[in-house]
Amino acid sequence: MSTTDCEQGETGWGILEGLPGDPMIWVLIFSELAAFGLFLGAFVVARAIHPAMFAAGQATLDSHLAGLNTLVLVTSGWAAARATAAARASRRQAARGWLFAAMALGAFFIATKLFEYAGEIVLGNGLETSPFFTLYFLLTGFHLMHVCLGIVILALVSRSASVTGVETGAAFWHMVDLLWIVMFPIIYLVQQ
Amino acid sequence: MIPDRIDIAWIVLLGLALATLLVPPLVARPLLGNALLLIFAALKGRRIVLDFFDLRAAPALWRGLVSAWVLIVVLFAWLASAIVALV
Repeated sequence: MSTTDCEQGETGWGILEGLPGDPMIWVLIFSELAAFGLFLGAFVVARAIHPAMFAAGQATLDSHLAGLNTLVLVTSGWAAARATAAARASRRQAARGWLFAAMALGAFFIATKLFEYAGEIVLGNGLETSPFFTLYFLLTGFHLMHVCLGIVILALVSRSASVTGVETGAAFWHMVDLLWIVMFPIIYLVQQ
Repeated sequence: MIPDRIDIAWIVLLGLALATLLVPPLVARPLLGNALLLIFAALKGRRIVLDFFDLRAAPALWRGLVSAWVLIVVLFAWLASAIVALV
């Protein structure tokens, strides 16, 4: 093996090459998908064991508010995808504009979610009310933390609005979007 | 402005999200309703993977892995609900 081969082997990303953005974000994305997958699996198994308790808990949730949040997050994902397209076309100012739109919609998602939590707490539902609410608050709370982190990442990459930076931030944001798309029907709508 | 692939994906996602909200009041049978909800979730996931993540041009391994994650989670959710409904 020549010196050049060694250098390529040390600096290249191997099988992670070809993914949009920094390959490290994909290590994080695959780890997060695995963690959320297991968490959702636990929720599904717990519901199969306690169907009546989960149906009663689900009935108190505001699925319309969560549905509105789905529309908001999907639109936010669209804005992030538009930001990537603008950055690739060397339109940095437009990319920043789309990133700010994605962040603003993310902030709206957070506000709506907190309003929803407040409604649950007023009804007397908390982390320790039942296994349903423990899993509900942990799953949606863990997701909400990722929305907050996503906004921070988008804000950081908007400073330079470089192609790799925007692709990296948008990839994380799309993961947050994808998680919600799968979580929403499983937690709020699937009936027993 | 002519809508491109990203805009079309967004419109499809909005349509599927609205259709998802209509399933519980319109479909009374849980087995069918749950299947519809989770099929819509899988279709939305597929659009996000291909058009928002932009994995269309990425190596098939990664596109397949993310798509498989969506399929496995929704299939597991549907199977668990179906088993409870049938037992």
